[in-house]
Formats: sequence, structure tokens, C-alpha cells
Amino acid sequence: MEYRVVLIESNRIMLERLSSVIKNTKDCEMVSRYKNPHEALGQSGVFKPNLILLDIDETANMQFVPEFKQSFPQAAILCLSSQWNAQASSQAVQAGAKGYLIKPFTSDELLAAVETFGKNGMGMLSETLAFFSPKGKSGKTTLIANLAMALARKSGQPVGIIDADLQFGDMAVFFNLNPQSTIVEAVRDIKFLSPITLNSYFLPVADKVRVLCGTKRPEFAEYVDLKGFAELLRMAQSLFRYILIDIPPAFSPISVAAAEGATMVYLVAMVSGGFEIRHMQQALEIFKAWPDYAKRVKTVFTRVEPCDSASLGKIERELGYPVEAVLPNEYLLVSAAANNGRMAMDIKPDSPLAHNIDRLADKICGKKHIRWDKS
Amino acid sequence: MEERPWSGIVITVFSTASAVGKTLISINMAAELAKQSYRVCLVDLDLQFGDVCNYLRITPQKTIFDAQEAVRLDIDKFSTEEYITQYQQENVTFAVLASPLKMEEAYNISTEAVKKVLSRLQGEYDYIVLDTSSAFSDLNLAIMDLSTIITFVGIVDFIPTIKNMKIGYDTMRSIGYDRNKIRFVLNRSNSKTRIELQDVEQLLEEEFYHVLTNDFIAARDSIHTGIPLVLDQKKTVLGQDIQRLIAKYTNRLEDTEDSASGVSSWMKRLFK
Repeated sequence: MEYRVVLIESNRIMLERLSSVIKNTKDCEMVSRYKNPHEALGQSGVFKPNLILLDIDETANMQFVPEFKQSFPQAAILCLSSQWNAQASSQAVQAGAKGYLIKPFTSDELLAAVETFGKNGMGMLSETLAFFSPKGKSGKTTLIANLAMALARKSGQPVGIIDADLQFGDMAVFFNLNPQSTIVEAVRDIKFLSPITLNSYFLPVADKVRVLCGTKRPEFAEYVDLKGFAELLRMAQSLFRYILIDIPPAFSPISVAAAEGATMVYLVAMVSGGFEIRHMQQALEIFKAWPDYAKRVKTVFTRVEPCDSASLGKIERELGYPVEAVLPNEYLLVSAAANNGRMAMDIKPDSPLAHNIDRLADKICGKKHIRWDKS
Repeated sequence: MEERPWSGIVITVFSTASAVGKTLISINMAAELAKQSYRVCLVDLDLQFGDVCNYLRITPQKTIFDAQEAVRLDIDKFSTEEYITQYQQENVTFAVLASPLKMEEAYNISTEAVKKVLSRLQGEYDYIVLDTSSAFSDLNLAIMDLSTIITFVGIVDFIPTIKNMKIGYDTMRSIGYDRNKIRFVLNRSNSKTRIELQDVEQLLEEEFYHVLTNDFIAARDSIHTGIPLVLDQKKTVLGQDIQRLIAKYTNRLEDTEDSASGVSSWMKRLFK
């Protein structure tokens, strides 16, 4: 038996129901169960549990999370609730729980929760990176796909991509996916979902990288309501270490909502000898409404030739704003990969494009180490 | 401007992808029509990031935002002349109704009021050319409704771009537009790509109405000088391609190259 489970649930009927699910779950042993945390803290030590399921609908139970953590340092604590509540979830995680599970749950959901949260815990440190290109066509989908791979590789932690380009999202084509569920279904169902069930709306595209695809037809875009989208984002933050959002061009309610929900916004533009720098300036002007915009808003330019620090400096001077990264023109490489639906896999790791994306990933990962040191 | 009993032709330039050359094509269409002494107004409806005035190197005082505000305030006092900026290159001139100068203005534009502005322009100009953004927004759907012709600009580069063209076309057909109203124009036909034109046509179940040669250098130079290709003394292949497209639109096309295939494809459509 892999998991030795202790269950704490005050409602008798629910206690029976959940016990029976746990008993019937592969790799799980129900070692003891209690109606309140006092009993559990006092008695369950003899059973050497490694998984504690604690009901927090009984709001007072939340305060026992640190005590459980102290008494059972080798055990993972999952909080149980009858409905998803982003605030309670984040409180639980801050108190030391690994994750949050909606009850009643099925065997599959229990296992998925253990697997998802067991190793890394819920994303207390989750970072959401939104990619926005003011006037469209910027190569940001290529950037996102490859950056996600690089981040997963470097951090060893789960990365999620959300294609929020509601009318013309290309992620599904880039990864050659034919999704049954997309952002439309996820937002529609969000009230009934928990992080674990939401996870199944994301399709795996590589080890530790999952994608929530965009709408299949532009007219479906109107089914994505902003409240649901914001909720989706918050819930996804408990699943992934990094979330990368592909935002549609131009300022619209959805692009603004995605940017506001993000830790970091990357404005991406393709150098084409037109007015892309002016458009970037116009877009930056809007973000200046944020008091912390200088920290939260970064710029990336693609198709920069020659792709070196001199070009970067030149763009910076013209733009009057720091440039986080420049990416080279790899049109043939990218188009061949995109046409084969192997966007992120076919770009050669030794190509300048992959190299520069790697460096950006380093910056994103590296920054986090600094934050950890401080805390 | 005196009212006329007939209404002008509205040509919308639309695409489902950005950076395919909509603005360049719109400008050159307007310039070519103006060169043929039609009265032309070019309206920049890429509200947030419109480039028409950037490309033409003109500085508008008033924009579509001011025009639609005036319409909302009192349509009887509204006169289009106050809001247009004239573009002139030697003896060719056309009117431009610019996109908003500020982002917040772009955010606060009434589709209904824009429709009224356009309807007024239709009474005063022979041709109204509309440059758009690449999305099925309320505004774009409204102007496509009132358009005579939608020039659907496509490029053949990535599979995703083509997927979006197909989805866009299907959407427009499902809205109920006649296939005759939608004209596919392929830009940059010789660009480096592994995708065959015929495959795209098969997927779209539609032929390209017109094909523009790839000439990035000419396009870039034109953007830098602010002079439309069709008005440049120096003849470019791309400029001539656009002239031929306008010739098709104005029914002046000489019975040469295209007539054979044109008639046969027209026959095919008739009996489909």
C-alpha cells in the first residue's frame, strides 16, 4: 500500500461515503478516520499516515493544518471542501496543506490529486505570464510553446498553457491537438470544477506541459465570460508552477482580464520595418496605469536581425523602455515545425531561436530563486 | 457636399491574420481609384493600432472618434468634411477618415454611430475603402454587413494562418454573405513556403480572385516614403497587381489573360 490515509470529516454520512471510496482506491489504505481534528491529532500517530484528508467546510478545522504538519511531517495534507473556493484554497496552502480536493471525490480524483499535489504541492508559487502582441502577428505562439518546454525542463515542475486567443487561437494546430474540451468548456464548467477536474481539460503535450486549447470557432468566443475566465486562471494557478497565456491582439475585455490576472505581462512585437515600435509605445502607455508596471510589463521583439545586444540596445533606445529579449528570424524553421504540428519539439535545441528562448527561461526561473532566498 | 441619389460602393479590406498587408492594399486601392477620378474616402477602422496615417505620413486633426461623437450629439449638424484629412500626391487626392489618436477613444466608439458616419460618406463618395482589424468584432461584423465587397486578404505561409482563413470564411458564409461578396486576394504569393496554392483553394473551396506578387522591398519603400505604390513614378510589379485588382472591381478589365478562366469559373459557379 502506497498511501496510508487518515480522514477527518464531521458529517457521518460523508465520512462513510468517502471512506468507502478510499477503501476502493488502488494503492490506498484507510488507516483511521475521525470526526474532528482533536481526535485525529491525539490518536492517529500510531497508524503512521502519509496522507491526511482534512475537511475544512468546518471552518475551525483550518487552524489545525499547521499542527498536522508539525505532528506528521512525512504526511501530505489535502483539504476537503464541498465546493471550490480560491481564498480558502490559498489559505490552506499557506497554512501548509499540499492541495485542495472537492468532496465527494472519486477514486480517480483522489489519485489524481495525490499525484498532482503530492510532489510539488499546490502552486503557492505559481506565476502567470501573459503574452500580448498589440497589433497581432508577433510570433508569440511560437515563443510560448517553446518557452513552456524550456521552463518545464529547467524547473522540473508542471507548466500550463492557456490559449485565450478566443477567435483565432493556434495552440491546438501548433501542437497538432484535436481537443474535446477547450477554454469554452472549462469556463462554462468552472463552477463545478476543482483543480483536479480542471486539470483534465488541459491536454498533455510533453512531460509536465499541458495545454488548454482555444475556441474551435470564433463565434464561440462570446461564451467565455470574464468572471469565469478569471476564476479559471486562479484555479489553474494551483495546478501549475508556470502558466503561459496566449492573449488575443488589441485591448479587449479578455486581453485586459488576462493581463490583470497575470504576474507578468510580456508585450511581443515582430520587427518588420513598419510602425511596431510606435504600437509598442502606445500599448505601454496603457499599462502605465498600473503602479507597478515597470516591474510587471516586459517587452520582447521577434525577427530581430542581427539578433545581438547591439540590436537590442538600438530598439531599447528607440522604444524608451527596457527590452527583455530579442529573438532571431527563423521563418523556415518555425514554419516547417508549425506545419507539422510539432511546434515546440522540432525547433533544434542548438538553433539561435531555441538558445534565446532558453535564456529567457533562465531569467524567469532564476528570478524565482532570488525570491525563495528572501523568504 | 451635395447629396446624390445613389450610394457609393463600400469595399472592406479584411483578414483573419494580422500583418498580411491590409493597410497597404487599402491605401493603394484608394489611391488607384482616386487616380481614376473617382471620389474616394479611406476609413481606418483598425481603431487601436491603425496605420493608415502612419503609412501616408499625414497628421489628422480629427478622427473617426470625433465624427461618431458628432453623430451621437446631433446628426443633423454633422458634416463629414470637418472630420476628414485630405491626402494629396501631385494631382491625385483622396479623403482619409483617421483612426482615433488615443487608445481610450478607440475603446469608446459606438458601432451604430460609425454606421451612420459611413452611410453619410456613401452619399458623398463613389468609393469608400475600409481598412479593418483582424477580428470578428461587433464593428467589423456591422461594416461587413453594409459592404458591397469584402476583400479578404490572405497569405499562404503557416498552416495556422490558413486554418484561420478557412474558419473566417466559413464564419462569413454562415452569417449569410454571398460568396460573390467575398473576394479572396492572396498577398505575397511567391513568399517562401512549402504550401501549394491549389491545396489552399481546395481547402477553402474557393479560388483566389486575385493574386499579388511578393515584393517586400517595394512595400517597405512605399511605407517609408509615404507614397502609395500606384502613385509612384517608378512602376512596381506589386503596384501593377493592385491596379489590375482595381480594374476588376471597376469592370474595366480588358478582355485578356483573365477572361478565359474568368468566364469558365463563372460558368462553373452558375451551374454548381
